[in-house]
Amino acid sequence: MGDSLSIQHQEQGRSQLVKMGLMAGLTLFLCLFALGQGSSSQLDVLTTAKIVLGLESGTEIQSSIIWELRLPRVLMAIIGGVGLATAGALMQGCLGNPLVSPLTLGVASGAALGAALAIVLGFSFTTIGAFAIAGNAFVFSLIVVFIIIQLGRYRSISAESYILVGIAITFIAGAIVSTMQYFATDAQLSQLAHWSFGSLARPDMVIVLGIGIVIFGLMPQAMLWSWDLNALSMGGDDFAISTGVNPSQIRKNILVLSALMTSAIIAFTGMIGFVGLAAPHMSRLIIGNDYRKLLPSSAICGAFLMILADTIGRTLFAPVVIPVGIMLAIIGGPVFMYLLLQSKGVQR
Amino acid sequence: MSLLDVHELCFSWPGREVLRDINFEIKPNELVSVLGVNGAGKTTLLKCINRILAQTSGRVRLQSKDMVNLSLMKVAKHIAYVPQNVGTNFPMKVFDVVLLGRRPHLSWFVGEGDREKVSESLHYLNLSDFAFRRYDQLSGGERQRVVLAKALAQDPNLFLLDEPTSDLDLKNQIIIMEKVRALVKDSSRASSALVAIHDIDIAARFSDKILLLHEGVIHAFGPPQEVLTPENIAHVFGVEAEIMGDSSSMRIIIQGALE
Repeated sequence: MGDSLSIQHQEQGRSQLVKMGLMAGLTLFLCLFALGQGSSSQLDVLTTAKIVLGLESGTEIQSSIIWELRLPRVLMAIIGGVGLATAGALMQGCLGNPLVSPLTLGVASGAALGAALAIVLGFSFTTIGAFAIAGNAFVFSLIVVFIIIQLGRYRSISAESYILVGIAITFIAGAIVSTMQYFATDAQLSQLAHWSFGSLARPDMVIVLGIGIVIFGLMPQAMLWSWDLNALSMGGDDFAISTGVNPSQIRKNILVLSALMTSAIIAFTGMIGFVGLAAPHMSRLIIGNDYRKLLPSSAICGAFLMILADTIGRTLFAPVVIPVGIMLAIIGGPVFMYLLLQSKGVQR
Repeated sequence: MSLLDVHELCFSWPGREVLRDINFEIKPNELVSVLGVNGAGKTTLLKCINRILAQTSGRVRLQSKDMVNLSLMKVAKHIAYVPQNVGTNFPMKVFDVVLLGRRPHLSWFVGEGDREKVSESLHYLNLSDFAFRRYDQLSGGERQRVVLAKALAQDPNLFLLDEPTSDLDLKNQIIIMEKVRALVKDSSRASSALVAIHDIDIAARFSDKILLLHEGVIHAFGPPQEVLTPENIAHVFGVEAEIMGDSSSMRIIIQGALE
């Protein structure tokens, strides 16, 4: 056996795994609870839990409500939370900046521009009716991803330059969307506003599964980058190189992957921003900054926040549903601020 | 055989030449200090060797292999660079920072051997008590030792140290340089160190050779007593100096600035 420091390090690793297990358990429990929330009076939390766990076979209506209405929504919350939180953690790490979120690079603004073009001008790259808005949002967010790839070709581009270009893209896309709003009809305006709120109700099961494949398909690659992220986020470019990491190359790859994750989600749900900033930071407070553990725990935290926000949004003023993007900011914001200030207090 | 062979190395930023025709060799188990005023090109030289900066022309060979052909990961297996100030927005525990030194040697999972190596490095630099403190809660001098411990855990053939004692108190300056020298002199392994440093006295006391850089050119290279002459010191640093003692215990007394 090793000496006391090695043993202590191993023990800390194990206790981190236990914490992550607890977080995952809590999230799963919340999922069951969320599946039980809704307007149908014959489906309370307990009955739903029994049906989902296979302890009871519900009526045809009951199972149809659970599997076709509520499950896609809860799944979308999980996938969206996992994807946006992972993208946020990846981007913060590779840019060495705690202020960064998945919206920083302008991917979501690209999506908003695509949606606005489809809604206001009826212009869309995707002709299929149901996909006119979401598909166009996706195409335009991919254009932003393409711009990021092009930026990455400049060997000397710094982390700050990526952020500044992202902010510029956000301003440009925002200005074009505002111009279109100026000329839009009332109906179009309300549709556009509705899109920008961000909602988990839009994607159907097929889309949800498609997004899920993209997100969970990209996760292993993100995990493989953990060491590179540790080196980059810990000590900057020179320190990373001294550890064998090529900062410009890895930064480009990580940004492209996180931008893809972000656009796959945002295009179909609309603007959901806060979870990508808050979930990684909450995980940093709970687990620490080691990306081997930070990435999975951010993913769990993200799923937890999304389900929590959506469930509260669905039940608080039922039958009126408050979009998840709004609820996230309203509930998550103060909690986030409290956690941050508390941790600063401990430091002193 | 030389461990490091730098041949005709030049480096320029657009419109500004920083290093010109740098030629020198480092043998195994040698400690070489780079001296020179601010902006003489000390840090640039270290960065070129570690491939952080790409040389404009010339060649750097490590154990007779051309460095340009090696991947950064390969380079990191043989060379450990310690930058001047490693600041961070996302601090980790000291043990995990030092564990990054094992990065070039491990696949993804951390083995028992890697943890052992980290513990050893921490013990060696008297950092055991800090192992599970957060890096950002340490003092400047403690951080400097942590980054040095990371380099040590990397198990390199060549240490590139940029001002490793700049934030240390007097006692720790001596302790750290003694430890670096002991590492280099450990005959069971062929490792050497190239150290950029400001303190002439410390350099004279601990180095086998001194590389005196002046305006991007090597002004002198050799054992301390040959390089650190009053003439060279006056030329490079613009101060008047008196050299006391013999080669085993040199003392350099700075009299004052020259006009």
